[in-house]
Amino acid sequence: METAIRTRRLTKRYRTRPALQDLDLEVPRNVVFGYLGPNGAGKTTTIRLLAGLLRPSAGSAEILGRDTVRRREEAQRHIGYLPGDFAVYRDLTGEQYLRFIGNLRGGVDRSFVDHLAKRLDLDRSVRVGGLSHGNRQKLGIIQAFMHRPDVLILDEPTAGLDPLIQREFLGLVREARDEGRTVFLSSHILDEVEAVADMVAILRHGRLVVVESVENLKARAVRRIDLVFEGPPPVAALRAVPAVREARSTGHTAHLVVEGSMAGLLAVAAPHGVEHVVTHEPNLEEIFVRYYTTGKV
Amino acid sequence: MLGSVFSKALRDQRRALIGWSTGVALLVLLMAALWPSVRDMPDLSEFIAGYPEPMRELFRMEDFATGTGFLNAELFSSILPILFIVFAIGRGARAVAGEEESGTLDALLVTRVTTTRLVMEHAAALAVTLTALGGVLFVAVLGGSAAFGMGVSPADLAGATVATVLLGIEFGWLALAVGAATGHRAAAIGAASAAAFGAYLLYAAGQLVDAVGTWQAWSPFHQALADGPLGAGLRPEYLLMPLAAAVALAAAAAVFDRRDIAGP
Repeated sequence: METAIRTRRLTKRYRTRPALQDLDLEVPRNVVFGYLGPNGAGKTTTIRLLAGLLRPSAGSAEILGRDTVRRREEAQRHIGYLPGDFAVYRDLTGEQYLRFIGNLRGGVDRSFVDHLAKRLDLDRSVRVGGLSHGNRQKLGIIQAFMHRPDVLILDEPTAGLDPLIQREFLGLVREARDEGRTVFLSSHILDEVEAVADMVAILRHGRLVVVESVENLKARAVRRIDLVFEGPPPVAALRAVPAVREARSTGHTAHLVVEGSMAGLLAVAAPHGVEHVVTHEPNLEEIFVRYYTTGKV
Repeated sequence: MLGSVFSKALRDQRRALIGWSTGVALLVLLMAALWPSVRDMPDLSEFIAGYPEPMRELFRMEDFATGTGFLNAELFSSILPILFIVFAIGRGARAVAGEEESGTLDALLVTRVTTTRLVMEHAAALAVTLTALGGVLFVAVLGGSAAFGMGVSPADLAGATVATVLLGIEFGWLALAVGAATGHRAAAIGAASAAAFGAYLLYAAGQLVDAVGTWQAWSPFHQALADGPLGAGLRPEYLLMPLAAAVALAAAAAVFDRRDIAGP
């Protein structure tokens, strides 16, 4: 069974409102799969369907060939799941919580739990009620990873983590993949997923817009970038660079929209004396609106 | 205490159990302490005769003159069932629906624990907790009876305790069932409380209105309180209470297994 996750026309409607429409997805084993989309696009709905917590209105989902409805328990046995907005019993300590969930799962290696806690720098002796959001999130990550599941399904795993811990977490994700596991993680931030994913799917309004390798997506990603020049910006020259989609200027600053590689742009801009470069996080909504909805996929 | 859903549920109930046990024991001892002065009232039967007949029938005040009758009227057919039911409904509603509303159910279900097992383990834990509360009741009444000369026999008391515990289990399981089927704690508390209230009305109406008589047997209160419960022995009708609730649990487990789990 080479496919870790497969959905066929997976659809979820809440009353009449469609949250997910005809999702066909195939996630091979042994990859990190980024699941991107703006808030409300249907990412969490997809993840809860995969975890067996929701029942499809139509279509089906499989984890390692096991249908998430008909063989739910088997499917669940193979996953590690981090819910979005992970909630824990406030009266337990982190250690007690992990022991409880570990007992219910079975087959948890204590030394691996210690290892994970150390990596993420979590003090497990503190009651969950007294933990910050970020520390609770660490607990959620540990409970998802601790039984070394074949498939990790993580809903916005980096929410609330500080940058150092985020980097450690991405390390754990890469190691899981290198050990042959599959990681399915959602995010609404492209850069975060780019750093670790092999493949990316983008969801919008409950529909799958595109599945791409990260390399292709990077080549297509649209970024806003501001170049601050020593003198007036060479707008015409910048506009002539193939990757530049838009260019306008205010004072010494050129505001650009760039698709794909920056290399050509920087080569043109550098001789004009660039003082300062400000890049803006690529906006997913913008990617969709500008390109995918115009059929340029 | 964290080896299973069952043991964690017991652990979660320990504080509430200690509080309620203390309350029940104090209530029982207070009532028992009142007994000598009631017994020694020179005109007790006249005093009772002064009550309207419906009240005398409902609370079986005619039996007031014995310790057993006094406890039946003052505790076992009035405040004790209410206390056990309120405690049970609160715990039952919290079990599944409470976890779902707080968002902790998600991670719990993506383990080897199935929805059905979750319901069953919570049901078992609730039964154990109510039995423990029943144990406290038993000891308190026995002690109160001995201290104040009420003459309640341990066998009678055991039967009455079983009736009270089973009444609590019935409505606690009902609340657990509604909570599992709907995922809403308020719905669980509302439905189980309404059922308890309706059952009590049916029981009370049956005591007072002859025409209701045949229907009265359907009320769990009648099943638990008829002819006692102190002194009624272990009636086979007691079994109807957990049976009815078990049917509700089974139906709820089937719904729970097929419905969406609400996100946090």
